[in-house]
Amino acid sequence: MNETAALVAALNTSWFATGLSEKAQTRLAELGRRFTAEPGTELFREGETSDTFGILVHGRVALRTLVPERGDITILTVEPGDVYLWSALVPPFRASSTGTAIEPIEAIIFDGAALRAALRDECELATALYPRLLVAVARRLYATRLQMLDLFATEQVKEW
Amino acid sequence: MVIRTAPLRGHRQALEGPGFLARPDLQILIDLLREEGRRVIGPTVSDGAIVLDEITTLEDLPRGVGDEQAPGRYRLRRRNDERLFGFVVGPTSWKKWTFPALVPLTRASKDGHKVSFAPEPPDTAPVAFLGARACDLAALGVHDTVFTGTAYVDPDYAARRARVFIVAVQCTNAASTCFCTSMGTGPEVEGGHDIVLTELDAGFLVEADSAAGHVFMAKLPLRPASAAEQYGAAATVAAVRARIGDPVPAAGLHDRLLAQLDHPRWAQVAERCITCGNCTLACPTCFCTTLTQTTDLTGVDAVMYRSWDSCFSPGFAKVAGGSFRSRPRDRYRQWLTHKFATWWDQFGSSGCVGCGRCVTWCPVGIDVRDELNAIAPAVPLVPETKLVEPVAATPNDFVTARVVATRQETSDTTSLTLTGTDPAFAQGSTGQFAMVALPGFPPLPISISRFLPDGIELTIRGAGPATRAMCALQVGEQLGLRGPLGNNWPLDRAVGRDLVIVTGGIGLAPLRPVLHAIVAGRRRFGDVKLFYGARTPADLLYRDELERWAARDGIEVSLTVDRAGPDWTGRVGIVTHLFDQAVWDGANMIAFVCGPERMMQATATTLAGRGVPASRIHVTLERHMECGIGLCGHCQMGQYFVCRDGPVFSIGQLGDIFGREGI
Repeated sequence: MNETAALVAALNTSWFATGLSEKAQTRLAELGRRFTAEPGTELFREGETSDTFGILVHGRVALRTLVPERGDITILTVEPGDVYLWSALVPPFRASSTGTAIEPIEAIIFDGAALRAALRDECELATALYPRLLVAVARRLYATRLQMLDLFATEQVKEW
Repeated sequence: MVIRTAPLRGHRQALEGPGFLARPDLQILIDLLREEGRRVIGPTVSDGAIVLDEITTLEDLPRGVGDEQAPGRYRLRRRNDERLFGFVVGPTSWKKWTFPALVPLTRASKDGHKVSFAPEPPDTAPVAFLGARACDLAALGVHDTVFTGTAYVDPDYAARRARVFIVAVQCTNAASTCFCTSMGTGPEVEGGHDIVLTELDAGFLVEADSAAGHVFMAKLPLRPASAAEQYGAAATVAAVRARIGDPVPAAGLHDRLLAQLDHPRWAQVAERCITCGNCTLACPTCFCTTLTQTTDLTGVDAVMYRSWDSCFSPGFAKVAGGSFRSRPRDRYRQWLTHKFATWWDQFGSSGCVGCGRCVTWCPVGIDVRDELNAIAPAVPLVPETKLVEPVAATPNDFVTARVVATRQETSDTTSLTLTGTDPAFAQGSTGQFAMVALPGFPPLPISISRFLPDGIELTIRGAGPATRAMCALQVGEQLGLRGPLGNNWPLDRAVGRDLVIVTGGIGLAPLRPVLHAIVAGRRRFGDVKLFYGARTPADLLYRDELERWAARDGIEVSLTVDRAGPDWTGRVGIVTHLFDQAVWDGANMIAFVCGPERMMQATATTLAGRGVPASRIHVTLERHMECGIGLCGHCQMGQYFVCRDGPVFSIGQLGDIFGREGI
């Protein structure tokens, strides 16, 4: 199996990319490359420029936010199949949290500028990828709302 | 209006019990009815169907003709016998004669400045119906209530109905479209007729049920029916009942249907429905009408006619500003909910008699039974496992138990191990609860989190003064108990299925006995998955047991928390993210869900998206309870008392009230 075919196979294990057209998958595979990291590796830092878009294939990435006096709080873990660092596709291209591998990870990563250029020039790729991205973002938005409700809190909810 | 009359007193009956009439002698009955001046209406073959029309001789009846019916399909077929009633109901119903499609109501005229209105006298010519089935008689009964059973009597219907003599026929065949058994209207003819015939190979078993019926019966050349003939007749009708089965379980249908006004199926069925109104025309009980005026050319004389209308007509609910039911889905919902639900509120019965005409004669083959079962699926309300009688059932009574161990589960949650409890508690079932009391505090419903041979465990979160006092109990102290109360998780129905347990926070407590039961009989179940979410890692309950279930007991345990510090390497995020992208076939799954209601809603939606049917997604509800036995009224939710009918419900059972604001 050549590298592109191997990457297509890896993409197909992710819910994010499975079901994309063969053409879109092949194009993504051409743009992507494999990436691995050991636990504890800081992959990106909150506020810094995001130059990579990633699809996690194995392992777990913690997204953390620094809260003064409380330290680094994990607000979400990215699980295999999901995307991380989609801020590389959304202006101003800055990470909104710090990403740390908390297990050995394997991912397919894309150079942010190159992927943006491809999405700008190749309508077919863009129409395939953006709806997926929207699903991934909407899923997180909905989850964030539920987390915000703090449903398991003991305290009686005070009137606002 | 009661049509049935008392049995004739003093009349010398020719026979005790049913008689036997040879097939050719049915002509004598037709002649007797005609001699009385009656038009005899009966089944006859016309245009490839068996329709109802005037008949004069036996030769008009469909001798040796049967039918095949299915959604959107009707075919006649030749029988290999001489039977005259070897078919099921056709497209016409008897309402054509009691409630004609078009009747003149009033004649109006104008003479200069004067106008006059004269009611049109109803047609009172006597008729006899030959061959009405049980569902047809039930339909006439429904119309009797609609037109004559409330404050205003419809004079046309009353006059026409009063002159009808009915010779009913027992059903000896069933079509695939029949569902009288579900509607409680058949197949046995049990009233509303004058004479009833059961067709046998050589003739008819004849019985009378009214004074007029007995008069006619006495004039027929009958011999006493043999025991074999009587048995054969009853067995044939019983076989029809068995063949039809119970396609639309009707218990609770009214409430189930009205709880589903927002079901997506309404839009789906409307994509197939062409709103032709055939169902309402073929229906023997649909009674909506419209008025039309015709005038002569001079405009002096006018007649107002009443004709059948259909709630499927675009103009049916139209006012000057538009139609209240402009979309086909609105009209379909109106028809179905009226027929099967709101009819009960208006007239005290179902508007459907289960004749199946609307199914057969729907040009696109919409099967009302499928729609009902999809929109308002039947769910058993009665728990399948026999639950133990609670002790101290009434709120004035308590038994005591002693704390023999306490375990701090999290910063605010404590498990109490109790012994000395009444034996009833040890026989309690998973998901049941106890009313727990300390002097000076209101009794509270607490889920039983473990059943022990000589006691129970309660896991209590100190959220208020009473629960904090319970959490502070020391070994040796006592508390008061009533129970076990409520229903249980339907573990019986999980046997042989894959089981998904989704829970959040303290919600693991009422599910812990389920996990104990699974571990005790692990091989009875398929894959067992436990998804458990908590606020933080420190809020996870029963951590040692979670590890054991995963490591030793063949349960796939997935944990997640809402937020965590850097030392937590497990998942962070909402509980539904643990499985919302899983590739499952939910068709064989059953799900038990417990947690905050908002979390259970999100979970139920996600599970439904994985193909788990609503009837197999079970949740346990929390409501304010003071008595635990359905007497204090606090825990009402729609038609349910959560304490008595629940706390475990399926999503199918709850329908739209689940997660609805302010219920």
